[in-house]
Amino acid sequence: MAAVLEPYVYEGGIHKHGLLLELLEDLGGFLIQKIPAATEVTLIMLIPNKDIHLMEELAIKLLGKIKRSPLTGTEIAVVSPTLAYHHLPHSACDIAEFLRRGGANTNMIGLARGMGRRVALSGDYERKLINEHDIALFSFGTFRDCIVNKKPKLFEGIDIPVVVTGAPDIKTEDIPNADMYIGGIGRVSHRLRKGSELEGLDKMNEMVSEMVNMVREDISKDPLAVLPARVMKEIKDQIPEIEHVLTPAPITIQLDGLRVKLPYDEFHEKVGNIEFDEGPLLSEMANIMPSKMKNYILIKIQRKSEVGFVI
Amino acid sequence: MAPLETFVVESTIPEEAEHYKHIISDAITDLVLAQAIEQIRVVVKPEDSLFQMMMILRGGMPPVKVSDFAHVGEGTFGESEIVIDIDNEAYLPQLLENLWEMCGRINVHQPERKTVSMTCENPLEHISEIEEMVIEDPQRTLKSKLVDMAIRATPEGFRVRYHSLTGNHFIFVATEDIMKKEWIEEAHKMLDELTGGEPSGSSS
Repeated sequence: MAAVLEPYVYEGGIHKHGLLLELLEDLGGFLIQKIPAATEVTLIMLIPNKDIHLMEELAIKLLGKIKRSPLTGTEIAVVSPTLAYHHLPHSACDIAEFLRRGGANTNMIGLARGMGRRVALSGDYERKLINEHDIALFSFGTFRDCIVNKKPKLFEGIDIPVVVTGAPDIKTEDIPNADMYIGGIGRVSHRLRKGSELEGLDKMNEMVSEMVNMVREDISKDPLAVLPARVMKEIKDQIPEIEHVLTPAPITIQLDGLRVKLPYDEFHEKVGNIEFDEGPLLSEMANIMPSKMKNYILIKIQRKSEVGFVI
Repeated sequence: MAPLETFVVESTIPEEAEHYKHIISDAITDLVLAQAIEQIRVVVKPEDSLFQMMMILRGGMPPVKVSDFAHVGEGTFGESEIVIDIDNEAYLPQLLENLWEMCGRINVHQPERKTVSMTCENPLEHISEIEEMVIEDPQRTLKSKLVDMAIRATPEGFRVRYHSLTGNHFIFVATEDIMKKEWIEEAHKMLDELTGGEPSGSSS
């Protein structure tokens, strides 16, 4: 039985942070993302839960901060009805920024024709792109009538959990097809920095974390054949080209898969042929598909019930 | 007179109106329009897909002429030159543009920071023309800003629009569906209420 991994984020100086990475590797944890910024570094990690105290002690010694980041290892789509200035840069960007602080990888998606009430609609390509994520967060506006009666048609065809944000207080069950509603974050034209607004965003992070936990619990009932973090490590070890990818997260971990930012045509066979110490190839445990996002590779790992084993 | 004497936003649910007021005040702040607007009333009815905005503007600033910020005189080199001494450099770029257009770029010189000279035939005839030249019209800038503000304040999908600017009165009605005549009439009536019975006139 593999160790239970807990998501943590470390923020501290770049000096001697290699010690943390060495300890993490020794403990059997995984580094999800490393974000260096001048003399500071942010490390997003999965740490075996029995050994967290060791990492904490070392972090304190290095004068850095280490804290739990429940959204680590998730890819969230922040969907706004369009990319017009009615939604951007506030509040959709502020929402995405806050989710990233919680450890999530976010993608902003602006629908082509999502605005309005009667005329709002989403395209097939947009729905498929959203469905590649773990959670879709729709950022809506001020009016209850729009959120309850008109906008839910944008959720049609979305198979992943749908989180909705808006200004009014509405019960989740009043919004058809939504899995969670978070109030207090509506349309704003200024940066969200007032006390009440930040509280709303904190609450949002909490509630999205709850949603992530629910999905994780659901997955644990029929576990994945291999952990996405393990696949990430093997890709880094076996496909050296990934080192030359310049995007901030060349391999993005999802709750049940990964997005690998290498061209599909050239690399999907290499990805499928990744070997694990236990014997099986990745293609025996996962579906490797072209992603709707650029020319990337999308990996969705199969469950134990499908492949018959867990490594 | 304080800026924004009246600022009312109405909606079916009062809390939503309060929230929408913040959006509109942000738009006004972003475009630095607070000093230009005297009264504003907005009615949003999401269930009818209707947005109405009525505004009374402050008496506009007069257009800025060259004589307001510069002294125009004959040049020292005889009768073929005009010299313009400028007090306020803020209008210099537009002034130069206008002069270039008037007599060609090659004939306009700027020997020093606050002096512009222009070579032309019969300069005396041109002096009064230059003095009366309009360099900036604040009313025109205001109009484009008002349209920008109205579009920013409207819910995004409301693309069917009516607007009317008569003197200092501005009306903007937007909807997603077919525009109804009574909505426009209603907006004019509400503007009359704002002005206190003084008819607002109507033109589209």
